[in-house]
Amino acid sequence: MEEQALFVLAERDVADAERSGYSDYSYWGSTIRVFMKNYAAVFCLGLLIVLLVFIMVQPYLPAQRDPNEIHLSQETFRQLRNVRPGAEFWFGTNSIGQDLWARIWSGTRTSLGIGIAVASWNVLIGIIVGTLWGYVRKLERVLTEVYNVLDNIPSTIIMTLIAYMLRPSISTMVIAMGVTGWVPVSRFIRTQVIIIRDREYNLASRCLGTPTGRIITRNILPYLVSVIMLRFALAIPGAIASEVFLTYIGLGLPLHIPSLGNLINEGRQLMMIPVMRYQLIFPSVVVSLITISFYVMGNAFSDAADPRNHV
Amino acid sequence: MPIEREVLMEVKNLRVEFKGGSKKPFVAVDDVSFKIYRGETFGLVGESGSGKTSIGRAMVRINEVAGGEILFKGQRINGLISRELDREVTQKIQMIFQDPMASLNERAKVDYIVAEGLYNTKAYQSEAERKAMVSQALLAVGLLPEFASRFPHEFSGGQRQRIGVARALVMQPEFIIADEPISSLDVSIRAQVLNLLSELQQQRSLTYMFIAHDLSVVRFITDRVAVINRGQLVELADTEELFANPLHPYTRSLLSAVPIPDPALEQAKVIIPYDPLGHDYAVHKPLWVEVTPKHFVLGNAAEIKEYRQRLA
Repeated sequence: MEEQALFVLAERDVADAERSGYSDYSYWGSTIRVFMKNYAAVFCLGLLIVLLVFIMVQPYLPAQRDPNEIHLSQETFRQLRNVRPGAEFWFGTNSIGQDLWARIWSGTRTSLGIGIAVASWNVLIGIIVGTLWGYVRKLERVLTEVYNVLDNIPSTIIMTLIAYMLRPSISTMVIAMGVTGWVPVSRFIRTQVIIIRDREYNLASRCLGTPTGRIITRNILPYLVSVIMLRFALAIPGAIASEVFLTYIGLGLPLHIPSLGNLINEGRQLMMIPVMRYQLIFPSVVVSLITISFYVMGNAFSDAADPRNHV
Repeated sequence: MPIEREVLMEVKNLRVEFKGGSKKPFVAVDDVSFKIYRGETFGLVGESGSGKTSIGRAMVRINEVAGGEILFKGQRINGLISRELDREVTQKIQMIFQDPMASLNERAKVDYIVAEGLYNTKAYQSEAERKAMVSQALLAVGLLPEFASRFPHEFSGGQRQRIGVARALVMQPEFIIADEPISSLDVSIRAQVLNLLSELQQQRSLTYMFIAHDLSVVRFITDRVAVINRGQLVELADTEELFANPLHPYTRSLLSAVPIPDPALEQAKVIIPYDPLGHDYAVHKPLWVEVTPKHFVLGNAAEIKEYRQRLA
């Protein structure tokens, strides 16, 4: 009698048991949350946003000068050459009296524009070719041969040739870097696709008759978000660096289109004169900030986009 | 004499090869033939690398067939087939995979995973109907319909395997290949999945091919068993017959290795080693022979004679 009072059979609800361990998970929500925890990356993101907004509105701010205007002295009517940074010219002037402040922001606009255009193109084409190369077995042989040919032509030669053949301009620059820039990206994507293409969940999809296109978009690419974003983030400073390089070998943009490339190149020529080093330091600082920010941000985002890091 | 049962699936002289580089291909499955009757559970047993999964994957057309035929209801389904037949086979033959941790798309919601086959065969009229079909499939495997909006990693191994079962069920299949569906599950939830499979078989008159290496599970769930060794079938019989009278030395060795849940007996157990060189096949090639009705074994004339004597 007493025992019956002490021990009561516990009620058990099967449906309730299934409900246990519920979590309200969303992929992008968790990605953003993990990213936001990385303060360095958030700072870099903020920095880049501020930079982007600033270079957009800078020409419309009061007391801005034209980047190509050559400033003359009021008294002597001679060019204000190599004026050191001060109240009149914040970043000083260059060797023919142009305002470095205006030129740097104009150059940042040009270079970031080139960088984003080239990176988007390369990553887009790289993803398309890379997934087909990695997943569609019939294309594997052909694309591997095409890759072998393209990869064995040094990209410097191709860039140089195109820069020679076409007139120097922003679009020439983008074309020169976009012609073969997608090749390493597609190879990288192909490797990633091959790693996951024969996992069981992809076999399961094939069993269910899922067409290749949907396997790529629903099964493969979502797994590659983090590596693709990292690749993209690094491709932007990479393109800016190529631009600097092309300018250095004399194939860059004409001087009337300021870019970080030709600014650094001009500054480099004055590097050995201590008082004029500011002409190299200012554009270099901008390039470094852009490169470091994209790198830190890209890494943080790539980590955040990996669901293994979603606690 | 029992009435002749309908053959649902037939495999004839199946050969599966894997090409690795320029060397000669590796033969994973060699000259395998068997029939699976409607409504039964057919077991395929063998050690790792024996080719059992390759057979299963050839039957769902993931692995290419290098030789032989696979027939579904008498129609050849390997190689080039018509669009209608392809669609029918895609719907009627389903597979349950070994590792529930690897066989679900982590980046898709359960709703998409379960409905994936429906999208491919357009087996629904409206979005509401598709949702209803997904809910029903989830309920059938003991999961709640509201799980459809979650991601696979929010579930336990047993629940994930049941999502895998739901994904197969929603297609209204007739034949399900279960490739070691419980071997990567926790022991405590194996029975849960096995019982679920048995219940579904009764409710929906399904036919299973059960690929396994765990013999106690095979004995529990299958009606007939085929034993495969190095890509060749060595013995095929009704489950009880096979466990009672194993003939082929490989089968005997395999059965002798089954653990007994009794320490005293387990200690006294004698494990029979199998020596593949013990067969004298130099002159007399082995044949696939029906020793007694429905009991097939691989052996040459001398061996078959010996097997028959042992049975008598």
